[in-house]
Amino acid sequence: MTPADQPLPLRTSSAVDAADRAALLRIADGELAALEDLYDRYKTMAYSIAYRITNDATLAEDVVQDAFLGAWRNAARYVEGRGSVKTWLLSIVHHRAIDAIRRRRPTTDLPDVETAMPSALTLPDVWAEVAAGLDAAMVRSALAALSDVQREALELAYFGGLTQGEIAERTGTPLGTVKSRMRLGLLAMRRSLEVAST
Amino acid sequence: MSDPKAMRELTCDEVRDLAGAYVLGALAAQDEAAMRAHLAAPSHSDAHPEIAELGSVLPAFAEIVPVVEPPAGLKARIMAAAAADQEARGGAVAAPLAPASPSTPAVIAAPAAIEAAGAAPPAPVAFPPAEERAVRRTRASTASWLLRIAAVLVIAVLGGWNLLLQSDLSAARTYQQNVSAVLDTAAQPGSLTAVLAGEGGTGAGLAAVDSAGNVAFAIRNLAPTSGAAVYEAWVIASDGVPVPLGGFQVGKDGTASFRASGLPTASGIVLALTLEPGPGATTPTLPIVSKGVASAAPG
Repeated sequence: MTPADQPLPLRTSSAVDAADRAALLRIADGELAALEDLYDRYKTMAYSIAYRITNDATLAEDVVQDAFLGAWRNAARYVEGRGSVKTWLLSIVHHRAIDAIRRRRPTTDLPDVETAMPSALTLPDVWAEVAAGLDAAMVRSALAALSDVQREALELAYFGGLTQGEIAERTGTPLGTVKSRMRLGLLAMRRSLEVAST
Repeated sequence: MSDPKAMRELTCDEVRDLAGAYVLGALAAQDEAAMRAHLAAPSHSDAHPEIAELGSVLPAFAEIVPVVEPPAGLKARIMAAAAADQEARGGAVAAPLAPASPSTPAVIAAPAAIEAAGAAPPAPVAFPPAEERAVRRTRASTASWLLRIAAVLVIAVLGGWNLLLQSDLSAARTYQQNVSAVLDTAAQPGSLTAVLAGEGGTGAGLAAVDSAGNVAFAIRNLAPTSGAAVYEAWVIASDGVPVPLGGFQVGKDGTASFRASGLPTASGIVLALTLEPGPGATTPTLPIVSKGVASAAPG
């Protein structure tokens, strides 16, 4: 399992979305085969994200298992119109991966309820994607267009799992500046991605 | 914040200031809880469109991670865990549905997260309403090999769950770890899988033989051995001659794992356990405690 330096394929076609929603319906009805379908479709993306964040194969497996169990138990909570099933699922993976690496850091303050799994699996907020049909090149280009410090703040948060306070400490930057870099960086990326998708 | 346990109320300006860190998951726990509490308030449900605006960028990050394939055994683990979860909840469908509400706030889509933070959750929108799901329900399901393994694990893993219900947590964990090891073998291409069963549930479990002839057993509900007595594992191929694989002893928890090598890899071989007075048996002592037929996973 060596990370390959190649982009993950992005499929946000309406047909895939429809198949995903159908699978989620079946999962909500307790159909195990539907969970298998969803796993087959997103196992690589899910594991890749988990591995990228945790940098630990065993931990990444646990994260992906937690995430799919979270989807299994909470399929009925998926809300159409606020992101695709794929986004919903991968957001859960990201959320669990961040939780996992923060637990590994003894000084991190986490809610007590987070230790109770899997019955207390929590779900992240999900928002509608800025655009459908984005590919890795567009995203890389949007990131590259940011200032170095904005890109660093976003990457330390999303991939590093650092809190804004930890980013401020690591980079020697005032907290207020870190907040601004994250907000402005996301806004700039949104504008770039909107343009790229048209 | 001087008191990390105290949840202060945020102003709308503070929420806007924290929005980027919030959607990135970069808030400390107490700040995130305060944020969720603010956004969950009915008066704020439509007051912060910047949250969705910034959050819409997040899915893009998933597109640029290097590809890493998951290990083959992970799928079986997940399916087994889901099957166990389903059985533990009495075969009920997934999470209980809250009533649909036309006034669901526009931003928050994760009631469970809000519950975790101790704030009142907004009503989720059922996906779709239960009545509609009932109409759409698909009766037929594809019997893939993993699903069959998952079904087996309703017997096998949930045997561990039953142990748990019997307050034998240690035994349950041991058994589930043993089953996970068997599943890793079962997930390999060309492997054979056998469900082991004996009289009255004795010696129930799972075994898998990989294409190189290595076998892994996970067994529960075995009577503890005493003295020199051992459980002997056997393989019986098409010639009908039992071949000993080795022996093992069992403690009070009644669970065991066992590995051996050199097995034939033809579908249809029988795996069996007997209780022997000592190690080194060359012919099995009847009765057979537990047995199963190893067969290739259906495609």
